[in-house]
Amino acid sequence: MLSELLQGTDTGAVLIIQDSCSYSGQHLLKSFISAALNKEEPVHVLGFDVSEEELKDGLTASTQRLHFHSAYTDPLGWTNRSAFTVHQFCVEELTHLLKQTSHPKPVTLVIDSLSWILRHMSPPAVCKSLQQLKKGGAVRAVIGLLHADMHQRGTVGSVCHLATSVITVAPGTKGDEAVAKITKRSKLGKVTQDEEIFSIKGDFSVTVVSKTSHAGRRQTEPEEQQMDPTANLTFNIRLSDTEREAKEKLALPFVFSKEKKTALLQSGPGSGRILYEPDANDDYDQEDPDDDLDV
Amino acid sequence: MFTELNSILNATPDSFTQGEFILVSDRQSDASFLIHHFLSFYLRARCKVCFLGLVQSFSHYSAISQRLGVSLTQAREKGQLIFLEGLKESLSILIPQETTTGSQAMDFLRDPTVGLQRLYEFVRSSVSSDGGGEEGVEEWGPPVLLVDDVSVLLSLGVSAGAALDFSHYCRATVCSQLQGNIVMLVRCHGEEAEDDGSDEGSEWLLKGLTHQCSLTLHVQGLPTGYCRDIHGQVCVYVDANFLIQTEHIRDTDLLIIQVFRFS
Repeated sequence: MLSELLQGTDTGAVLIIQDSCSYSGQHLLKSFISAALNKEEPVHVLGFDVSEEELKDGLTASTQRLHFHSAYTDPLGWTNRSAFTVHQFCVEELTHLLKQTSHPKPVTLVIDSLSWILRHMSPPAVCKSLQQLKKGGAVRAVIGLLHADMHQRGTVGSVCHLATSVITVAPGTKGDEAVAKITKRSKLGKVTQDEEIFSIKGDFSVTVVSKTSHAGRRQTEPEEQQMDPTANLTFNIRLSDTEREAKEKLALPFVFSKEKKTALLQSGPGSGRILYEPDANDDYDQEDPDDDLDV
Repeated sequence: MFTELNSILNATPDSFTQGEFILVSDRQSDASFLIHHFLSFYLRARCKVCFLGLVQSFSHYSAISQRLGVSLTQAREKGQLIFLEGLKESLSILIPQETTTGSQAMDFLRDPTVGLQRLYEFVRSSVSSDGGGEEGVEEWGPPVLLVDDVSVLLSLGVSAGAALDFSHYCRATVCSQLQGNIVMLVRCHGEEAEDDGSDEGSEWLLKGLTHQCSLTLHVQGLPTGYCRDIHGQVCVYVDANFLIQTEHIRDTDLLIIQVFRFS
């Protein structure tokens, strides 16, 4: 499923890559950028977390169609040298930014990272902007990186709820492998989930190593042949048919079988009968000895 | 000092990676010995060092550096070291007198909600080369920022978000623009709790800084408990993706290395 997502998305798609301190989603984000560039699509990047050099470092695809809007050097306007501040994250400003460079093909907008924006703007405003980007025609797709351990679960949940696909990355068992949990929502409302192990090569191409799905469980090893314990003994512990019948017929002495029960319940001739009438003194409640609690 | 640590990080005073953001963190332990190590390391490497000493006085660092073979007083006189003595500066803000004209770096003490923009401007003016072309001014290497420590800002009323913004701006200026290095110490208290991102304390700050940095040195006690000879261990994380080495520390002079490759 990861390869499908890398290959292309339909219009109005919002893809969120969730990462944490233990595994950074930056490389996977670069893989998506690389895949979009390879398909000769224009990519606009809102860079908060990394500088332009760091982002372009290692991308082998032609970076002609990659437009980097640097919000890294001055995201809050402290030095008055900023190209894009965090407070400019709204649909009007973004559309204006994207219109500055005209493209024949629809644009993919990459946000690195949404966490920066969520730290400075209220989550409802960010969600509203994302939703408007999704519905409006300015961009074909939005790909955002979110550091899930930096926000409250509610915030992360709200942002991921309006995404069409969410990829949660975590470190894998081997050094260069990682696990991706993918949730994809189709337009008709169907939700598919998948878990894949992948690794990213030097040129930011993704190799899916294996899928771990619930359906294809690994075949358990065939059970070993049962050893026959009664073989090769110097004495005989096998039963013949008559002996087996006799064994099954035998009534064990202390087992409370049905016949014994009926025999006991019905009083035999001459035995005494027990008549019991409930007495108030017998109704002693340990937790309420004076019987005056209103429970 | 700490030749083994230097060999693990592939760093010597003559050649080290530039543009690195090194995060030193500790939990219920004391990682300040690493700050002293890096201070003497970068001074020996003839870098221009800006040191934000927020928790101790200048004489404290000077005394320890003397033992490591570096003179902080000399470095300050020569202009190689710019030292912000947080404790002294804060006095001039808390007890203002007409004659005092300190730098505005510690202005956040007046109003912590304002943020750390002034402190960043102090850092920026310290690390950027003055140009001028004066005669007799020595040329120093790439700039280095050392902060001891970031978590004390939280207890002074600064929000963790403001501290993260400050470290982001420092990184943009020192590491990306000037190709210098940053070493920041952040101290956590208590157990590693599931903060859920709601409580913006030192754990949240540690997570945010981990996302920003390129190398983490995490100091903690031994998981097996107290040991007389070995004080703790240092875990080295590169790119937050994999652990390259765990070392055991035994007072400030010796290091016992235990190689632990995460594969």
